[in-house]
Amino acid sequence: MTALLELHGITKTLKGQRTPRTILDGVDLTVESGESVAILGRSGSGKSTLLSLIGLFDRPDGGRYLLGGQDITRLSERRAAALRSAEFGFVFQRFFLLKHLTAAQNVAMALVNGQGWLPRRKRRARTMAALDQVGIAHLAKHRPARLSGGEQQRVAVARALVREPRLLLADEPTGALDTETGNLVIEVMRSATERGCGLILVTHDRDHANKMRRVLRLDDGVLNPATTTPDEAWTPHSAGMQAAPSGAGPTPESAAGVSAPDGADPTREGVPR
Amino acid sequence: MIRLSGRFRSALIIGIQGIRARKMRTFLSMVSLFLGVLAVVVVQAGAETVEQAQLANLAVQVGKDGTRQAYLPGSPESVRVSNETLANRPDGVVIATRQAIVGEPGVVPVNPGGTPFDQPGGYGGPGGPMYCDQYGCRPISPGGGDAGTPVPGQAIELTLNTLTGDIRQFKPFRQVSGEWLEFTSAPSLAPRLVLNLEAAKGFNRHQVPAEMRIDGTTANPTPRIIGVVDDGSPQPVAYSRTDELANWISPNTAASEFGPGLQVMLAPTAGELERLLILRLTATGTPADQIHFETIQARENIARDLALIRWIFLGMASLVLLIGVAGILNVGLATVGERVEEFALRRAVGTSRLLLAGIVLAETLLTGLLTATAAIGASALALSAAGALLADQAPFLEDMVFPWRAGVAGVIAGLVAGLLGGLIPAIRAARIPIATVMRA
Ligand SMILES: Nc1ncnc2c1ncn2[C@@H]1O[C@H](COP(=O)(O)OP(=O)(O)OP(=O)(O)O)[C@@H](O)[C@H]1O
Ligand SMILES: [Mg+2]
Repeated sequence: MTALLELHGITKTLKGQRTPRTILDGVDLTVESGESVAILGRSGSGKSTLLSLIGLFDRPDGGRYLLGGQDITRLSERRAAALRSAEFGFVFQRFFLLKHLTAAQNVAMALVNGQGWLPRRKRRARTMAALDQVGIAHLAKHRPARLSGGEQQRVAVARALVREPRLLLADEPTGALDTETGNLVIEVMRSATERGCGLILVTHDRDHANKMRRVLRLDDGVLNPATTTPDEAWTPHSAGMQAAPSGAGPTPESAAGVSAPDGADPTREGVPR
Repeated sequence: MIRLSGRFRSALIIGIQGIRARKMRTFLSMVSLFLGVLAVVVVQAGAETVEQAQLANLAVQVGKDGTRQAYLPGSPESVRVSNETLANRPDGVVIATRQAIVGEPGVVPVNPGGTPFDQPGGYGGPGGPMYCDQYGCRPISPGGGDAGTPVPGQAIELTLNTLTGDIRQFKPFRQVSGEWLEFTSAPSLAPRLVLNLEAAKGFNRHQVPAEMRIDGTTANPTPRIIGVVDDGSPQPVAYSRTDELANWISPNTAASEFGPGLQVMLAPTAGELERLLILRLTATGTPADQIHFETIQARENIARDLALIRWIFLGMASLVLLIGVAGILNVGLATVGERVEEFALRRAVGTSRLLLAGIVLAETLLTGLLTATAAIGASALALSAAGALLADQAPFLEDMVFPWRAGVAGVIAGLVAGLLGGLIPAIRAARIPIATVMRA
């Protein structure tokens, strides 16, 4: 069975003013369908750069990129746009919601992108299904200004999921949220992996990372299996996180999932090299 | 096809969302463009209106487009042959033009030479009063006194056109008052006259006895004035039936040195009649090289005359439009700067560069179209208001409809302005790098 995603020796070099700087230095990574991967790393280690290459925002300078067994290292802009639409969902630290649109319209904007036209009724059905999936269907008509941070990020997750992508890319999605809402958002994304969607989560939060099946570290452009030290394993929040959720979030059923995270038994395999 | 329409619909939806989200900006763009589009529409509408008005005037003065006409030598023979050939023909008319004086006998008319009344001396130069017809102007001997000092008196000189049929099918005179000549009844002994506006002015101003002297007659008929028309002529003119005056004018006496001015007008469909007339005229001794029928083509001539002026005005309007384009461009560039994140996000969710550029263009094109609609509406309103207010001075404005070509010009101007003003912002939007903007 072919892997969902394979990176072989991916490099990215920035042509600076004087000396070129290597940001990614031979990254190898394989992700299977439905697999969740956390990437940890110091600030500036190249995590966002790696995600932007995977998400086809940018092109690598070297290496090979296979998606579902197909080499997509070099793509025309049109094909890249089509793949971004069909295969990937993105969630960022900042929510990037359009403030002049309602929650539903913000989700639907991933459907109104010139790729695969859907009639209005189907768009609405898909949009509402996605909003329902993240537990905020009742807020469909609200504009971002009237939503809390966690609700806004869940709208962003719904936008990422509305086309049922094969891979969800999340770059510090909980960075702007408090722990409880952060947990809620992570849980919503993790539940998407149960439907076969891959997830790559860049995070600084050890607990969130531990909820993924694999945890990797990016150090100066080189991807390694994570080595856990005891002080990293337990942050002060983690104990509270286990107890807090009931009744905290707007949707108890999605919050309930947090109390039984599969991160309790994280499988930490090394990256196959 | 389906893919294209999907893209088009996406662009439309996003464009409308963008316009609604930035109503103020859209409004400002429209304001800057409005004057430019308005200028184009007004120039176009103005040119069409003037052309229509000129054409209407020319039809009255010269004749409708397509009419066949000829000026013939005014010999007694050609007058007789023409009158006989066209008698009772609905599709042609013979117009014989003479000078006539109505009023006291033996005096110099108030307007010697049949000049307009508000133009003392008329065409009279140092050589005295002139007589003008289609052959040009020549001095005339003052009527009345044969020597010494002619006595000015209550008499009006005018151009008398006698008609064998209804001339209004070729020159649509506007009836001002009274009636027009009718050509079906038996001729009356007292010739009926229809005056033009200038002649009516003379008769209103001056109390003149109803006695008419015509070039080359000795007996003086007493005319009956039955109506007034507007024939567009600045000189006093009267119209009457040829057969009613035939009793007073001997066909065999040479009218004057040159005879009457003789003009024939034929409907475009009267080709048979035209050939018959030419045949008979040449058979009775009129030299063939003096018979020239020509077709009236006023529209073409006017269009040529107006084209240059129209282009000059359109040039100026385009400059105003250019300022509007600069306005749209300015607003558009600022908007793109503000929407960097939105555009990067849209590309991140799968919108292609090309479509993104299309969306920005769609927004400015929609703005241009809205502006064009507003400008066209405004000028159509202005035109109907002008028509209502100025109907007295300019009767042609009354039933003026907004020329559709001006509307088309406005729409094109709006779209071109939208295209020009939106192109650079569109290219900028397409160039926004996703990776840089979306970096957390
Ligand atoms: N467009 C750019 N121009 C210049 N330098 C860049 C650019 N993009 C990335 N970099 C540099 O590349 C390095 C990696 O950046 P990246 O954003 O991937 O780090 P990161 O791991 O996501 O950091 P953080 O955890 O703070 O988000 C940084 O040193 C950054 O300064
Ligand atoms: Mg980052």
